[in-house]
Amino acid sequence: VHPPGRQLSSTPLEILLFLNGWYYATYFLLEIFIFVYKGLLLPYPSANLALDLVMLFLYLGIEVTRIFFGSKGNLCQRKVPLSISLALTFPAAVMAAYYLLLQTYALRLEAILNAILLLFYAVELLLGILTLASFSRVDSY
Amino acid sequence: MALVSGLVPARFLTLTAHLVIVITIFWSRDNNVRASLPLQYSQQQYERQDVELVVALSVTLGLFAVELAGFLSGISMFNNTQSLLSTGAHASAAVALLFFLFEQWESSLYWWIFAFCSALPAAFEILLFVSVFGFKRKPL
Repeated sequence: VHPPGRQLSSTPLEILLFLNGWYYATYFLLEIFIFVYKGLLLPYPSANLALDLVMLFLYLGIEVTRIFFGSKGNLCQRKVPLSISLALTFPAAVMAAYYLLLQTYALRLEAILNAILLLFYAVELLLGILTLASFSRVDSY
Repeated sequence: MALVSGLVPARFLTLTAHLVIVITIFWSRDNNVRASLPLQYSQQQYERQDVELVVALSVTLGLFAVELAGFLSGISMFNNTQSLLSTGAHASAAVALLFFLFEQWESSLYWWIFAFCSALPAAFEILLFVSVFGFKRKPL
């Protein structure tokens, strides 16, 4: 069933991507402070600390790309950017799982923050796939 | 004023901050329970205080669900009054609960924070639900 008019962009997906962007910005700043705290307080082998910090910047790159492509693909009703965004959800989820479970020292606060990110990804993946399906049913210009 | 101003992300972020702190307190409530008990206490006294704090935190989480449902469904997302109230209440809750956690306040003080910072915005949210669904007013 097609929505009235030709608007196939998913409003819930757009809302989630918008909120995800803001949430991730806060998460990134918080993680920088948490790493300063952990670096000063906990016994870190310097290779592990360097790895965690570099991964955090890699995560920033992945997330910014993902949200930008997802938002543009959804608003312009283009399949390619949206599918790039959906594909990037998987490495982003892997990064969130890394910071939740596998990093050297995981604080409870970090566990909760990463769990919320994983929740975002799950819902965005679902909505993204549904939106992509609805784009594919109509011929694009 | 534009429909999507800075108020929407501000509200969402303060709401999430409050939620994160409530979950953190839930996870490490042992210190707060011990702070409400006398120096010598029995296992039953501990369990009674623990249950009280668990109930308080669970009700808080339930009210979060109500407020998030109203926010994410769009019913109160663009209502500036509710957004302002919610942002203020949850920001104060986040600060107060940080004190609650780090200064190890006793669990009876939690009910005060709950009343002003969780119950009040949730009550307004329910009022908005009733006015939108019951009286057919527009969500704005």
